[in-house]
Amino acid sequence: MKNLIKYEFRKTWSTKLIILVITACMELAFLISLYLDKENFTGISAVFLTFLAFGGILFIGIQSILTMHQDMNTKQGYMLYMTPNSCYKILGGKVIENGLSIFVAGAFFFVLGVLDVTLLFGHYGQLDQLMEFVTDLMKQLRIETTLDWRLFLALTVSFLCGWLSTVMTAYLADVVATCLLNGKKHNGWIALLLFILINWGVTSLQQVCTRNMSWIPAFYWDAAIAIGFSVLMYLATAMLMDRHLSV
Amino acid sequence: MLKSEEVTKVFGATKAVDQVSLSLEQGHIYAMLGPNGSGKTTWMKMAAGLCKPTSGVVKFEGEPVGVNSRAHIAYMSTEPYFYTWMSLRDVGRYYEDFFTDFSMMRYAELLNSFELDESMKIKNLSSGMMAKAKIAVTLARDATVWMLDEPFNGIDLLARDRIKEAIIAAASPDKLLLMSSHLVEEMETIADRAVFIRSGKLVKEVDIETERIENGCSIADEYRQIYGMQGGAEA
Repeated sequence: MKNLIKYEFRKTWSTKLIILVITACMELAFLISLYLDKENFTGISAVFLTFLAFGGILFIGIQSILTMHQDMNTKQGYMLYMTPNSCYKILGGKVIENGLSIFVAGAFFFVLGVLDVTLLFGHYGQLDQLMEFVTDLMKQLRIETTLDWRLFLALTVSFLCGWLSTVMTAYLADVVATCLLNGKKHNGWIALLLFILINWGVTSLQQVCTRNMSWIPAFYWDAAIAIGFSVLMYLATAMLMDRHLSV
Repeated sequence: MLKSEEVTKVFGATKAVDQVSLSLEQGHIYAMLGPNGSGKTTWMKMAAGLCKPTSGVVKFEGEPVGVNSRAHIAYMSTEPYFYTWMSLRDVGRYYEDFFTDFSMMRYAELLNSFELDESMKIKNLSSGMMAKAKIAVTLARDATVWMLDEPFNGIDLLARDRIKEAIIAAASPDKLLLMSSHLVEEMETIADRAVFIRSGKLVKEVDIETERIENGCSIADEYRQIYGMQGGAEA
Protein backbone atom coordinates (compact mmCIF):
# COMPACT_ATOMS: atom_id res chain seq x y z
CA MET A 1 0.00 0.00 0.00
CA LYS A 2 2.87 2.35 0.88
CA ASN A 3 4.28 2.01 -2.65
CA LEU A 4 0.89 2.51 -4.27
CA ILE A 5 0.41 5.75 -2.33
CA LYS A 6 3.96 6.83 -3.14
CA TYR A 7 3.47 6.43 -6.89
CA GLU A 8 0.02 8.02 -6.83
CA PHE A 9 1.71 11.05 -5.27
CA ARG A 10 4.52 10.93 -7.84
CA LYS A 11 1.96 11.07 -10.65
CA THR A 12 0.48 14.33 -9.37
CA TRP A 13 3.21 16.06 -7.41
CA SER A 14 4.21 18.49 -10.19
CA THR A 15 0.74 20.11 -10.20
CA LYS A 16 0.79 20.31 -6.41
CA LEU A 17 4.18 21.98 -6.61
CA ILE A 18 2.80 24.51 -9.11
CA ILE A 19 -0.12 25.31 -6.75
CA LEU A 20 2.38 25.73 -3.90
CA VAL A 21 4.65 28.05 -5.91
CA ILE A 22 1.72 30.24 -7.06
CA THR A 23 0.46 30.39 -3.45
CA ALA A 24 3.93 31.40 -2.24
CA CYS A 25 4.08 34.19 -4.85
CA MET A 26 0.62 35.48 -3.92
CA GLU A 27 1.44 35.29 -0.21
CA LEU A 28 4.62 37.25 -0.80
CA ALA A 29 2.65 39.89 -2.72
CA PHE A 30 0.13 40.02 0.13
CA LEU A 31 2.82 40.46 2.80
CA ILE A 32 4.76 43.11 0.85
CA SER A 33 1.63 45.13 0.07
CA LEU A 34 0.58 44.86 3.72
CA TYR A 35 3.99 46.06 4.86
CA LEU A 36 3.93 48.97 2.38
CA ASP A 37 0.31 49.83 3.30
CA LYS A 38 -0.90 49.37 -0.27
CA GLU A 39 -4.51 48.56 0.58
CA ASN A 40 -5.61 47.89 -3.01
CA PHE A 41 -2.85 45.37 -3.62
CA THR A 42 -3.47 43.78 -0.22
CA GLY A 43 -7.14 43.34 -1.08
CA ILE A 44 -6.44 41.95 -4.54
CA SER A 45 -3.84 39.46 -3.28
CA ALA A 46 -6.18 38.39 -0.43
CA VAL A 47 -8.97 37.71 -2.95
CA PHE A 48 -6.54 35.78 -5.18
CA LEU A 49 -5.36 33.73 -2.18
CA THR A 50 -8.96 32.87 -1.31
CA PHE A 51 -9.67 31.73 -4.88
CA LEU A 52 -6.40 29.84 -4.93
CA ALA A 53 -7.30 27.99 -1.73
CA PHE A 54 -10.64 26.77 -3.12
CA GLY A 55 -9.32 26.33 -6.66
CA GLY A 56 -6.24 24.42 -5.48
CA ILE A 57 -8.27 21.99 -3.40
CA LEU A 58 -10.80 21.49 -6.19
CA PHE A 59 -8.02 20.96 -8.73
CA ILE A 60 -6.31 18.31 -6.58
CA GLY A 61 -9.55 16.33 -6.63
CA ILE A 62 -10.14 16.85 -10.36
CA GLN A 63 -6.59 15.77 -11.15
CA SER A 64 -7.11 12.61 -9.13
CA ILE A 65 -10.21 11.80 -11.20
CA LEU A 66 -8.27 12.42 -14.43
CA THR A 67 -5.40 10.19 -13.25
CA MET A 68 -7.87 7.43 -12.38
CA HIS A 69 -9.43 7.78 -15.86
CA GLN A 70 -6.01 7.68 -17.52
CA ASP A 71 -5.00 4.58 -15.55
CA MET A 72 -8.06 2.74 -16.82
CA ASN A 73 -8.10 3.96 -20.39
CA THR A 74 -4.48 4.22 -21.55
CA LYS A 75 -1.67 1.70 -21.84
CA GLN A 76 0.07 3.35 -18.87
CA GLY A 77 -2.56 1.60 -16.76
CA TYR A 78 -0.61 -1.64 -17.33
CA MET A 79 2.07 -0.27 -14.99
CA LEU A 80 -0.47 -0.20 -12.19
CA TYR A 81 -2.72 -3.15 -12.93
CA MET A 82 0.04 -5.67 -13.69
CA THR A 83 1.42 -5.29 -10.16
CA PRO A 84 0.34 -7.99 -7.70
CA ASN A 85 -2.19 -5.74 -5.96
CA SER A 86 -5.95 -6.20 -5.74
CA CYS A 87 -8.30 -3.52 -7.08
CA TYR A 88 -9.29 -2.79 -3.46
CA LYS A 89 -5.67 -1.93 -2.66
CA ILE A 90 -5.13 -0.01 -5.90
CA LEU A 91 -8.24 2.10 -5.36
CA GLY A 92 -7.41 2.38 -1.65
CA GLY A 93 -4.01 3.84 -2.57
CA LYS A 94 -5.67 6.41 -4.81
CA VAL A 95 -8.28 7.36 -2.19
CA ILE A 96 -5.76 7.65 0.64
CA GLU A 97 -3.34 9.73 -1.45
CA ASN A 98 -6.11 11.99 -2.70
CA GLY A 99 -7.80 12.25 0.71
CA LEU A 100 -4.49 13.11 2.37
CA SER A 101 -3.65 15.65 -0.35
CA ILE A 102 -7.06 17.32 -0.01
CA PHE A 103 -6.87 17.44 3.79
CA VAL A 104 -3.22 18.55 3.90
CA ALA A 105 -3.96 21.27 1.32
CA GLY A 106 -7.08 22.21 3.31
CA ALA A 107 -5.11 22.42 6.56
CA PHE A 108 -2.36 24.42 4.85
CA PHE A 109 -4.79 26.97 3.39
CA PHE A 110 -6.76 27.09 6.66
CA VAL A 111 -3.65 27.92 8.71
CA LEU A 112 -2.47 30.37 6.06
CA GLY A 113 -5.90 32.01 6.03
CA VAL A 114 -6.02 32.36 9.84
CA LEU A 115 -2.51 33.82 9.88
CA ASP A 116 -3.25 36.26 7.06
CA VAL A 117 -6.55 37.42 8.58
CA THR A 118 -4.84 37.91 11.97
CA LEU A 119 -2.02 39.85 10.30
CA LEU A 120 -4.41 41.91 8.23
CA PHE A 121 -6.64 43.04 11.06
CA GLY A 122 -3.76 43.19 13.52
CA HIS A 123 -2.10 45.61 11.13
CA TYR A 124 -5.18 47.77 10.68
CA GLY A 125 -6.47 47.15 14.25
CA GLN A 126 -10.03 46.38 13.16
CA LEU A 127 -10.34 42.67 13.83
CA ASP A 128 -12.68 43.01 16.85
CA GLN A 129 -15.03 45.34 15.00
CA LEU A 130 -15.21 43.03 12.00
CA MET A 131 -15.94 39.95 14.15
CA GLU A 132 -18.70 41.83 15.98
CA PHE A 133 -20.17 43.04 12.70
CA VAL A 134 -20.27 39.51 11.20
CA THR A 135 -21.68 38.00 14.43
CA ASP A 136 -24.46 40.64 14.48
CA LEU A 137 -25.19 39.94 10.85
CA MET A 138 -25.47 36.20 11.57
CA LYS A 139 -27.81 36.89 14.49
CA GLN A 140 -30.02 38.96 12.21
CA LEU A 141 -30.05 36.02 9.80
CA ARG A 142 -31.08 33.84 12.80
CA ILE A 143 -27.90 31.78 12.58
CA GLU A 144 -27.35 31.02 16.24
CA THR A 145 -23.67 30.36 16.41
CA THR A 146 -20.56 32.08 17.59
CA LEU A 147 -18.14 33.15 14.91
CA ASP A 148 -14.79 31.77 15.97
CA TRP A 149 -11.98 29.64 14.65
CA ARG A 150 -13.78 26.42 15.73
CA LEU A 151 -16.65 27.25 13.41
CA PHE A 152 -14.26 27.95 10.53
CA LEU A 153 -12.48 24.68 11.23
CA ALA A 154 -15.74 22.71 11.29
CA LEU A 155 -16.87 24.35 8.04
CA THR A 156 -13.50 23.62 6.42
CA VAL A 157 -13.58 19.96 7.48
CA SER A 158 -17.18 19.67 6.28
CA PHE A 159 -16.23 21.19 2.89
CA LEU A 160 -13.25 18.84 2.53
CA CYS A 161 -15.32 15.75 3.40
CA GLY A 162 -17.95 16.84 0.90
CA TRP A 163 -15.34 17.31 -1.80
CA LEU A 164 -13.79 13.89 -1.09
CA SER A 165 -17.24 12.32 -1.40
CA THR A 166 -17.75 14.11 -4.76
CA VAL A 167 -14.39 12.78 -6.00
CA MET A 168 -15.41 9.26 -4.90
CA THR A 169 -18.68 9.63 -6.81
CA ALA A 170 -16.73 10.63 -9.92
CA TYR A 171 -14.49 7.54 -9.47
CA LEU A 172 -17.59 5.33 -9.36
CA ALA A 173 -19.18 6.98 -12.40
CA ASP A 174 -15.92 6.65 -14.36
CA VAL A 175 -15.52 2.98 -13.42
CA VAL A 176 -19.13 2.25 -14.42
CA ALA A 177 -18.52 3.97 -17.78
CA THR A 178 -15.25 2.07 -18.33
CA CYS A 179 -16.21 -1.38 -17.03
CA LEU A 180 -19.89 -1.78 -17.80
CA LEU A 181 -20.67 0.70 -20.56
CA ASN A 182 -17.37 0.56 -22.46
CA GLY A 183 -18.03 0.64 -26.18
CA LYS A 184 -21.71 1.36 -25.68
CA LYS A 185 -23.36 4.42 -27.15
CA HIS A 186 -23.66 7.47 -24.90
CA ASN A 187 -21.60 5.88 -22.09
CA GLY A 188 -20.13 9.26 -21.12
CA TRP A 189 -23.57 10.78 -20.70
CA ILE A 190 -24.80 7.82 -18.67
CA ALA A 191 -21.78 8.16 -16.37
CA LEU A 192 -22.46 11.89 -15.98
CA LEU A 193 -26.11 11.18 -15.19
CA LEU A 194 -25.06 8.62 -12.59
CA PHE A 195 -22.66 11.13 -11.06
CA ILE A 196 -25.43 13.78 -10.82
CA LEU A 197 -27.92 11.26 -9.40
CA ILE A 198 -25.57 10.03 -6.64
CA ASN A 199 -24.62 13.58 -5.71
CA TRP A 200 -28.30 14.52 -5.59
CA GLY A 201 -28.93 11.51 -3.32
CA VAL A 202 -26.14 12.52 -0.94
CA THR A 203 -27.34 16.15 -0.79
CA SER A 204 -30.98 15.08 -0.22
CA LEU A 205 -29.97 12.80 2.64
CA GLN A 206 -27.91 15.59 4.18
CA GLN A 207 -30.92 17.94 3.99
CA VAL A 208 -33.29 15.38 5.57
CA CYS A 209 -30.87 14.76 8.45
CA THR A 210 -30.31 18.48 9.00
CA ARG A 211 -34.08 19.11 9.07
CA ASN A 212 -34.94 16.26 11.45
CA MET A 213 -31.95 16.51 13.75
CA SER A 214 -31.59 20.25 14.00
CA TRP A 215 -29.94 20.13 17.43
CA ILE A 216 -26.81 18.86 15.72
CA PRO A 217 -25.12 21.54 13.54
CA ALA A 218 -25.60 20.90 9.81
CA PHE A 219 -21.92 20.72 8.98
CA TYR A 220 -21.39 17.77 11.35
CA TRP A 221 -24.12 15.88 9.52
CA ASP A 222 -22.74 16.89 6.15
CA ALA A 223 -19.28 15.63 7.08
CA ALA A 224 -20.56 12.36 8.59
CA ILE A 225 -22.81 11.57 5.62
CA ALA A 226 -20.07 12.48 3.13
CA ILE A 227 -17.63 10.11 4.88
CA GLY A 228 -20.25 7.33 5.05
CA PHE A 229 -21.00 7.69 1.33
CA SER A 230 -17.29 7.80 0.50
CA VAL A 231 -16.85 4.40 2.19
CA LEU A 232 -19.86 2.94 0.36
CA MET A 233 -18.66 4.28 -2.97
CA TYR A 234 -15.14 2.99 -2.37
CA LEU A 235 -16.52 -0.52 -1.81
CA ALA A 236 -18.84 -0.38 -4.84
CA THR A 237 -16.10 1.01 -7.11
CA ALA A 238 -13.46 -1.52 -6.01
CA MET A 239 -15.93 -4.40 -6.41
CA LEU A 240 -16.78 -3.31 -9.95
CA MET A 241 -13.11 -2.96 -10.85
CA ASP A 242 -12.29 -6.34 -9.35
CA ARG A 243 -14.98 -8.12 -11.36
CA HIS A 244 -15.15 -6.22 -14.63
CA LEU A 245 -12.15 -3.97 -15.24
CA SER A 246 -10.09 -4.74 -18.36
CA VAL A 247 -7.27 -2.31 -19.13
CA MET B 1 1.55 -24.43 -15.81
CA LEU B 2 -0.58 -21.98 -17.81
CA LYS B 3 -3.92 -23.28 -18.97
CA SER B 4 -6.64 -21.62 -21.00
CA GLU B 5 -10.05 -23.28 -20.69
CA GLU B 6 -12.53 -22.32 -23.42
CA VAL B 7 -11.60 -18.68 -23.12
CA THR B 8 -13.65 -16.16 -25.09
CA LYS B 9 -13.32 -12.39 -25.20
CA VAL B 10 -15.90 -10.23 -26.93
CA PHE B 11 -15.49 -6.50 -27.65
CA GLY B 12 -18.86 -5.13 -28.75
CA ALA B 13 -19.77 -7.19 -31.81
CA THR B 14 -16.23 -8.58 -32.28
CA LYS B 15 -15.06 -11.91 -30.90
CA ALA B 16 -11.34 -11.25 -30.31
CA VAL B 17 -10.73 -14.67 -28.73
CA ASP B 18 -13.08 -17.55 -29.41
CA GLN B 19 -13.20 -20.64 -27.17
CA VAL B 20 -9.43 -21.01 -26.90
CA SER B 21 -8.34 -24.05 -24.90
CA LEU B 22 -4.62 -24.36 -24.53
CA SER B 23 -2.15 -25.86 -22.10
CA LEU B 24 1.38 -24.43 -21.90
CA GLU B 25 4.01 -26.38 -20.02
CA GLN B 26 7.14 -25.32 -18.19
CA GLY B 27 10.55 -25.90 -19.75
CA HIS B 28 9.47 -24.67 -23.17
CA ILE B 29 9.69 -21.56 -25.28
CA TYR B 30 6.44 -21.05 -27.16
CA ALA B 31 5.91 -18.94 -30.25
CA MET B 32 2.37 -17.61 -30.54
CA LEU B 33 1.78 -16.91 -34.21
CA GLY B 34 -0.95 -15.32 -36.23
CA PRO B 35 -1.64 -12.27 -38.37
CA ASN B 36 -2.75 -8.92 -36.98
CA GLY B 37 -6.07 -9.08 -35.17
CA SER B 38 -5.91 -12.83 -34.67
CA GLY B 39 -6.30 -12.50 -30.87
CA LYS B 40 -2.72 -13.09 -29.65
CA THR B 41 -2.44 -9.87 -27.67
CA THR B 42 -5.92 -10.21 -26.15
CA TRP B 43 -5.17 -13.76 -25.04
CA MET B 44 -1.86 -12.67 -23.48
CA LYS B 45 -3.53 -9.78 -21.69
CA MET B 46 -6.07 -12.18 -20.22
CA ALA B 47 -3.28 -14.53 -19.13
CA ALA B 48 -1.50 -11.56 -17.54
CA GLY B 49 -4.65 -10.74 -15.59
CA LEU B 50 -5.05 -7.32 -17.25
CA CYS B 51 -8.15 -8.21 -19.17
CA LYS B 52 -11.17 -10.23 -18.01
CA PRO B 53 -12.44 -13.03 -20.28
CA THR B 54 -16.09 -12.82 -21.33
CA SER B 55 -16.28 -16.56 -20.62
CA GLY B 56 -13.85 -19.32 -19.74
CA VAL B 57 -10.85 -19.10 -17.48
CA VAL B 58 -7.07 -18.84 -17.68
CA LYS B 59 -5.33 -20.72 -14.87
CA PHE B 60 -1.80 -20.45 -13.55
CA GLU B 61 -0.72 -23.52 -11.60
CA GLY B 62 -4.34 -24.55 -11.19
CA GLU B 63 -5.68 -21.21 -9.94
CA PRO B 64 -7.45 -18.54 -12.03
CA VAL B 65 -5.04 -15.76 -12.92
CA GLY B 66 -5.32 -12.66 -10.75
CA VAL B 67 -3.45 -10.82 -8.03
CA ASN B 68 -1.34 -13.83 -6.99
CA SER B 69 -0.36 -14.92 -10.48
CA ARG B 70 0.83 -11.40 -11.35
CA ALA B 71 3.69 -11.91 -8.90
CA HIS B 72 4.92 -14.84 -11.02
CA ILE B 73 3.97 -13.85 -14.57
CA ALA B 74 6.08 -11.18 -16.27
CA TYR B 75 4.19 -9.63 -19.15
CA MET B 76 5.61 -7.30 -21.76
CA SER B 77 3.04 -5.46 -23.79
CA THR B 78 3.72 -4.59 -27.40
CA GLU B 79 2.67 -0.97 -26.78
CA PRO B 80 4.80 1.44 -24.72
CA TYR B 81 3.31 1.54 -21.23
CA PHE B 82 5.83 3.26 -18.93
CA TYR B 83 4.82 6.49 -17.23
CA THR B 84 6.24 9.32 -19.32
CA TRP B 85 7.49 11.24 -16.28
CA MET B 86 9.87 8.40 -15.44
CA SER B 87 13.51 7.83 -16.33
CA LEU B 88 14.78 4.31 -17.02
CA ARG B 89 16.14 4.30 -13.46
CA ASP B 90 12.66 5.15 -12.12
CA VAL B 91 11.19 2.28 -14.14
CA GLY B 92 13.66 -0.11 -12.48
CA ARG B 93 12.85 1.26 -9.03
CA TYR B 94 9.14 0.93 -9.75
CA TYR B 95 9.56 -2.75 -10.64
CA GLU B 96 11.81 -3.25 -7.62
CA ASP B 97 9.10 -1.75 -5.38
CA PHE B 98 6.36 -4.03 -6.70
CA PHE B 99 8.03 -7.27 -7.77
CA THR B 100 10.10 -9.26 -5.30
CA ASP B 101 11.66 -11.25 -8.17
CA PHE B 102 13.07 -8.12 -9.85
CA SER B 103 16.84 -7.63 -9.91
CA MET B 104 18.10 -4.08 -10.31
CA MET B 105 21.56 -5.48 -11.09
CA ARG B 106 20.27 -7.69 -13.90
CA TYR B 107 18.24 -4.72 -15.20
CA ALA B 108 21.36 -2.53 -15.29
CA GLU B 109 23.27 -5.31 -17.12
CA LEU B 110 20.54 -5.69 -19.71
CA LEU B 111 20.24 -1.92 -20.23
CA ASN B 112 23.98 -1.79 -20.65
CA SER B 113 23.96 -4.59 -23.21
CA PHE B 114 21.29 -2.69 -25.16
CA GLU B 115 23.39 0.50 -24.93
CA LEU B 116 20.80 2.33 -22.86
CA ASP B 117 21.58 4.65 -19.98
CA GLU B 118 19.56 4.59 -16.75
CA SER B 119 19.33 8.37 -16.73
CA MET B 120 17.42 8.45 -20.04
CA LYS B 121 13.92 9.90 -19.83
CA ILE B 122 11.08 7.73 -21.09
CA LYS B 123 9.56 10.62 -23.05
CA ASN B 124 12.81 11.01 -25.01
CA LEU B 125 13.23 7.35 -26.03
CA SER B 126 12.86 6.32 -29.67
CA SER B 127 10.57 3.39 -30.44
CA GLY B 128 13.57 1.04 -30.76
CA MET B 129 15.00 2.20 -27.42
CA MET B 130 11.59 1.79 -25.81
CA ALA B 131 11.33 -1.77 -27.13
CA LYS B 132 14.74 -2.60 -25.64
CA ALA B 133 13.85 -0.98 -22.31
CA LYS B 134 10.63 -3.04 -22.10
CA ILE B 135 12.59 -6.25 -22.75
CA ALA B 136 15.23 -5.31 -20.17
CA VAL B 137 12.76 -4.57 -17.37
CA THR B 138 10.71 -7.70 -18.11
CA LEU B 139 13.67 -10.08 -18.31
CA ALA B 140 15.19 -8.58 -15.15
CA ARG B 141 12.42 -10.36 -13.26
CA ASP B 142 13.07 -13.93 -12.18
CA ALA B 143 9.50 -14.83 -13.12
CA THR B 144 8.03 -18.29 -13.59
CA VAL B 145 6.30 -17.28 -16.81
CA TRP B 146 7.43 -14.62 -19.27
CA MET B 147 5.01 -13.43 -21.90
CA LEU B 148 6.54 -11.14 -24.51
CA ASP B 149 4.18 -9.59 -27.02
CA GLU B 150 6.04 -8.75 -30.24
CA PRO B 151 9.49 -8.46 -28.58
CA PHE B 152 11.28 -7.76 -31.88
CA ASN B 153 9.05 -4.94 -33.06
CA GLY B 154 11.08 -1.91 -34.13
CA ILE B 155 14.41 -3.47 -33.18
CA ASP B 156 17.46 -3.59 -35.42
CA LEU B 157 19.21 -6.83 -36.33
CA LEU B 158 22.12 -6.55 -33.88
CA ALA B 159 19.89 -5.66 -30.94
CA ARG B 160 17.58 -8.50 -31.94
CA ASP B 161 20.49 -10.92 -31.57
CA ARG B 162 21.20 -9.61 -28.07
CA ILE B 163 17.53 -9.94 -27.16
CA LYS B 164 17.50 -13.51 -28.42
CA GLU B 165 20.55 -14.27 -26.28
CA ALA B 166 18.85 -12.73 -23.22
CA ILE B 167 15.67 -14.73 -23.85
CA ILE B 168 17.55 -18.00 -24.28
CA ALA B 169 19.58 -17.24 -21.13
CA ALA B 170 16.34 -16.73 -19.18
CA ALA B 171 14.90 -20.08 -20.26
CA SER B 172 15.18 -23.02 -17.85
CA PRO B 173 13.34 -26.30 -17.14
CA ASP B 174 11.13 -24.70 -14.51
CA LYS B 175 10.22 -21.62 -16.55
CA LEU B 176 7.83 -20.95 -19.37
CA LEU B 177 8.39 -18.42 -22.14
CA LEU B 178 5.73 -17.31 -24.56
CA MET B 179 6.35 -14.86 -27.37
CA SER B 180 4.21 -13.53 -30.12
CA SER B 181 5.69 -12.19 -33.32
CA HIS B 182 5.15 -11.62 -36.98
CA LEU B 183 8.76 -12.55 -37.63
CA VAL B 184 8.08 -16.25 -38.00
CA GLU B 185 11.53 -17.31 -39.20
CA GLU B 186 13.11 -15.36 -36.35
CA MET B 187 10.94 -17.22 -33.85
CA GLU B 188 11.98 -20.57 -35.27
CA THR B 189 15.50 -20.00 -33.98
CA ILE B 190 14.34 -19.52 -30.38
CA ALA B 191 11.07 -21.37 -29.79
CA ASP B 192 10.61 -25.11 -29.50
CA ARG B 193 6.83 -25.05 -29.70
CA ALA B 194 4.41 -23.02 -31.78
CA VAL B 195 0.80 -22.06 -31.29
CA PHE B 196 -1.14 -20.83 -34.32
CA ILE B 197 -4.14 -18.57 -33.86
CA ARG B 198 -6.51 -17.35 -36.54
CA SER B 199 -9.57 -15.11 -36.10
CA GLY B 200 -9.48 -15.66 -32.35
CA LYS B 201 -9.48 -19.45 -32.61
CA LEU B 202 -6.68 -21.86 -31.83
CA VAL B 203 -5.74 -23.56 -35.10
CA LYS B 204 -2.84 -25.76 -34.16
CA GLU B 205 -0.18 -26.39 -31.53
CA VAL B 206 3.02 -28.03 -32.75
CA ASP B 207 6.39 -29.19 -31.48
CA ILE B 208 8.74 -27.44 -33.90
CA GLU B 209 11.47 -30.09 -33.88
CA THR B 210 9.01 -32.98 -34.30
CA GLU B 211 7.31 -31.15 -37.15
CA ARG B 212 10.65 -30.60 -38.85
CA ILE B 213 11.83 -34.22 -38.46
CA GLU B 214 8.58 -36.04 -39.09
CA ASN B 215 6.97 -33.82 -41.73
CA GLY B 216 9.99 -31.90 -42.99
CA CYS B 217 8.05 -28.75 -42.29
CA SER B 218 9.35 -25.52 -40.74
CA ILE B 219 7.02 -23.20 -38.84
CA ALA B 220 7.28 -20.74 -41.70
CA ASP B 221 5.91 -23.50 -43.97
CA GLU B 222 3.17 -24.22 -41.43
CA TYR B 223 2.38 -20.51 -41.26
CA ARG B 224 2.07 -20.32 -45.06
CA GLN B 225 -0.18 -23.37 -45.10
CA ILE B 226 -2.44 -22.05 -42.36
CA TYR B 227 -2.69 -18.39 -43.28
CA GLY B 228 -1.75 -18.45 -46.96
CA MET B 229 -5.27 -19.54 -47.89
CA GLN B 230 -6.76 -16.36 -46.46
CA GLY B 231 -4.05 -14.15 -47.94
CA GLY B 232 -3.00 -13.01 -44.51
CA ALA B 233 0.53 -14.45 -44.38
CA GLU B 234 2.99 -12.02 -42.86
CA ALA B 235 5.99 -14.31 -42.58
